[in-house]
Amino acid sequence: MDDQNNDEQPTVSRRGFLGAGTLAGAAGVAGIAGFGSAIMSRDAFAKAAKDAMAKATVHPGELDEYYGFWSGGHSGEVRILGLPSMRELIRIPVFNIESATGWGLTDESIRVKGDSKDVLCGDAHHPHMSMTDGHYDGKYVFINDKLNTRVARIRCDIMKCDKILTIPNVQAIHGLRVQKVPRTKYVFCNGEFRIPQPNDGRDLNDPSKYFTMYNAVDADSMEMAFQVIVDGNLDNTDADYSGRFTAATCYNSEEGTTLPETMRNERDWAVVFDIHAIEKAVKAGKYTTIGDSKVPVLDGRAKANSPFTRYIPVPKSPHGLNTSPDGKYFIANGKLSPTVTVIEIDKLPELFAGKIKERETVVAEPELGLGPLHTAFDGRGNAYTTLFIDSQICKWNVADAIKAYNGEKVNYIKQKLDVHYQPGHNHTTMGETRDADGKYLVSLCKFSKDRFLPVGPLHAENDQLIDISGEEMKLVHDGPTFAEPHDCMIIHRSKMKPLKIWKRDDPFFAETAVIAKKDGISLERDNKVVRDGKKVRVYMTSMAPNFGLTEFKVKTGDEVTVIVTNMDRIEDVTHGFAMCQHGVSMEIGPQQTSSITFTAGKPGLYWYYCHWFCHALHMEMRGRMMVEA
Amino acid sequence: MLRVALFVILLLLQSATLQAVPVTDSASLQQALQQKQATIELGPGTYRGNFLITHSTTLSCQPNSVLNANHQGDALRITAADVTVRGCTIINWGADLTAMNAGIFVEQQAASVNLSNNTLKGDTFGIWIDASQGAQITHNRIEGNLNIRSQDRGNGIHLYAAQGANVAHNEVWHTRDGIYIDTSNGNRLHNNHLHHLRYGVHYMYSHHNEVSHNRTHHTRTGYALMQSKHLQVFGNQSDQDENYGILMNFITDSHIRNNRISNVQTGSNPTGAATISGAEGKALFIYNSVFNTIENNFFQGSDLGIHLTAGSEDNRISGNAFIHNRQQVKYVSNRTQEWSYAERGNYWSDYLGWDRNQNGVGDTAYEPNDAMDKLLWTYPLAKLLINSPAVETLRWIQQAFPVLRSPGVQDSYPLMAPIAQVQGVTP
Repeated sequence: MDDQNNDEQPTVSRRGFLGAGTLAGAAGVAGIAGFGSAIMSRDAFAKAAKDAMAKATVHPGELDEYYGFWSGGHSGEVRILGLPSMRELIRIPVFNIESATGWGLTDESIRVKGDSKDVLCGDAHHPHMSMTDGHYDGKYVFINDKLNTRVARIRCDIMKCDKILTIPNVQAIHGLRVQKVPRTKYVFCNGEFRIPQPNDGRDLNDPSKYFTMYNAVDADSMEMAFQVIVDGNLDNTDADYSGRFTAATCYNSEEGTTLPETMRNERDWAVVFDIHAIEKAVKAGKYTTIGDSKVPVLDGRAKANSPFTRYIPVPKSPHGLNTSPDGKYFIANGKLSPTVTVIEIDKLPELFAGKIKERETVVAEPELGLGPLHTAFDGRGNAYTTLFIDSQICKWNVADAIKAYNGEKVNYIKQKLDVHYQPGHNHTTMGETRDADGKYLVSLCKFSKDRFLPVGPLHAENDQLIDISGEEMKLVHDGPTFAEPHDCMIIHRSKMKPLKIWKRDDPFFAETAVIAKKDGISLERDNKVVRDGKKVRVYMTSMAPNFGLTEFKVKTGDEVTVIVTNMDRIEDVTHGFAMCQHGVSMEIGPQQTSSITFTAGKPGLYWYYCHWFCHALHMEMRGRMMVEA
Repeated sequence: MLRVALFVILLLLQSATLQAVPVTDSASLQQALQQKQATIELGPGTYRGNFLITHSTTLSCQPNSVLNANHQGDALRITAADVTVRGCTIINWGADLTAMNAGIFVEQQAASVNLSNNTLKGDTFGIWIDASQGAQITHNRIEGNLNIRSQDRGNGIHLYAAQGANVAHNEVWHTRDGIYIDTSNGNRLHNNHLHHLRYGVHYMYSHHNEVSHNRTHHTRTGYALMQSKHLQVFGNQSDQDENYGILMNFITDSHIRNNRISNVQTGSNPTGAATISGAEGKALFIYNSVFNTIENNFFQGSDLGIHLTAGSEDNRISGNAFIHNRQQVKYVSNRTQEWSYAERGNYWSDYLGWDRNQNGVGDTAYEPNDAMDKLLWTYPLAKLLINSPAVETLRWIQQAFPVLRSPGVQDSYPLMAPIAQVQGVTP
């Protein structure tokens, strides 16, 4: 409804809604395909509804069409779900400690954690896959740890995290996306919280000295590429399809430290980065560094008048930042404004060249509803925005919203759908690539309330699956999830080529292989104890239902490393190594080598056993560690 | 306090006699402001420019005196406490929303402003209260500019981190939102008339406020109340608003009483005309809101009377009248709850029971949503069936064979007649 000329809208007829004719004629109902008749038996209706859901049903023995990579929020992990069944397929521990696989306990995972090996928790938000020319390449998934300011990489052949990097000079990495074009050379990530620089105890209570930075991580080496100082703070980010621009939202242009201070401004902004200009400056050595850090730092603050950034004002405390799959638009989601702001990427070169003003890059600002947070796309020109306050998804058409902005009377909103409740991120199948196929939308709802059987005060989240293949969005599945998916990415199964068994030369355990070699050990053959002062290395193979060593002796207080190589070559025959009373637990997949180090406890006998079920005689797969005084 | 007041009066009298410089043009107004005159009276005429009030004064306008900011900046900017602006017509302030241009911009240190009987018309914000205390904003008329996009306009009255404000008897139309309030506690918004807007009252994270006797119509939501505690919301009216009459999202320990919400319409496209599928007009939407009293309200002629979602159980809902809403209650939850208090329920226009003992309460319970309703929210398309004989049969079956019943709202004491609306009653 516009704010004018609506006094004469009919209202009397609305009160007569109980007439069946009025109902069937109401806008939005008449257009539903397959339900055109006002008279329909309950059976016919139930069948139609059932059919809609059946499309999203994966029967026993059938495979899902899509892989979904789900962040596990402050559980610190990543999960893989199958879509449309929404079945959880596997968990990938990343920033957490995980008992079954020994993540954070094994020597290999501790090496991956590097300088943050003593950090036992994390807050994983945004999992995103590497791309080549705007298409997922199935190689890596990157994820941030807001809590400890880290970025991790998951190798998608083994589905294990192989690198974790602590980002220097900033605090709380939030938004994360990859460079889409020409390939994922960089992972872009936002330092959210402003801090004194260097953060060594100076200027603790002088917020005017605080700042934060936009970060680029080299995706191949997982080392820092550069950092750009910004005004305000940084929330979410995304990259374009030309390789030149990225953008990030800022909800604290006030640079306040308290809640009310951050809410004052009518407009905050989306800051756009010119990656080419940044690369040029870095290459030319025109950068500074902070403290002991060697990372190139550029000043992109407005007062530095740099060629690196432009600040486009958008209402109000914007949150999500999403690139449309046609490569035309950045969309900043209003959060405290019921609007989203559509920025035309083709206008950005002119903006950086000083030929147009910031707001001239805005080509639409549709009003969608209360609390827009994130927008997803179907590849057919439609966008789907989560409305946090309304607890709805709003489907709207981008081209129509642009027409409306130009003064045409256009109905750019196509549908609103209730979700349960308060959705944050949403994502469509392949929706962040050129291959957006518009089949499913996932709404990650922050609250489930009573959608599931009650399990105590702590509730599951509710990840809802919506069929968007037709004109109307249809809710087809409620999926409870443990704390707390913030974001996901959904990729067609044809793009994924995970390994069934490990390769013996896998770099994941290459360092362990080097140690073995120094000890003169053949990991695939030898079962032997190597003593090196107080350090004892116990090498053994495993082949169901036996460990290569059924006993070994150490002395109390020895630093014992057990290195197990699983010689089974059968898919799905993973072994475990678990040492009683020593907190030792790890996974050894077929053809994998895993190692774990612990201190031998009080003198006595300790059994070790295989705890990943492997064989009819799995219970018998065990051995004795004798700890001598 | 009395002594201070006397002193102020003396000061006013003194300055009135000593400085009776007539203000007739922009230059003399700027001069009067620079000289910090204690009272400034504007004669008829147009005063062009941006005027900064840096001292305690009373600026009063005679009829036909117009402050015109030439589409630049704020028309009036107040940086001192105890400033009164009265009877002025203020137009053509700047259109820069990012810079938060306003007809009257009241800075934080400008406590106790009194803005009354002014007429404002401009592109962006009418009155912006920027964290200042004790503002009196009464009997102003604020009009926005229909020729610019809704989202490019400002709000009529914008309260940011305000406390102790009294916002009353104002009329706002054609701006973006009527009254916007955030992080502002202990204010009164009452008897305002807000119409032809995006939202009438746009309310975010503000506690201990009173919202009473306001009237909204032709907005895209009458009262959007969000993330706030201890509100007194009573005697308000909403008619012909879209989407929501009153939206309650994370509202706790509040009283919602004696409000009259009627004819809430299905949301339509802000720039088009078509209604939006899935945007039913809800007289009252309750989400994640508990420990509230929702009493003696009147919900009429809307798509939905109350849409209540799960997790909003602990509210006292009684004495309300639900009259001819297309669907009286949409209850999306798996737990049953009772909507009555002290053996008094609500009035339901579609209640078909009898009152054989003449006590004003129906003999059988009313269930606004039954298994059919659950079917409707599980399978929204089933609404096409709503009046079909099959549904009537189902309803009968569910009465006869209670095993089909699903948890929902029950009113064990349905009222036979609506409670008379008593306007002007305080809670």
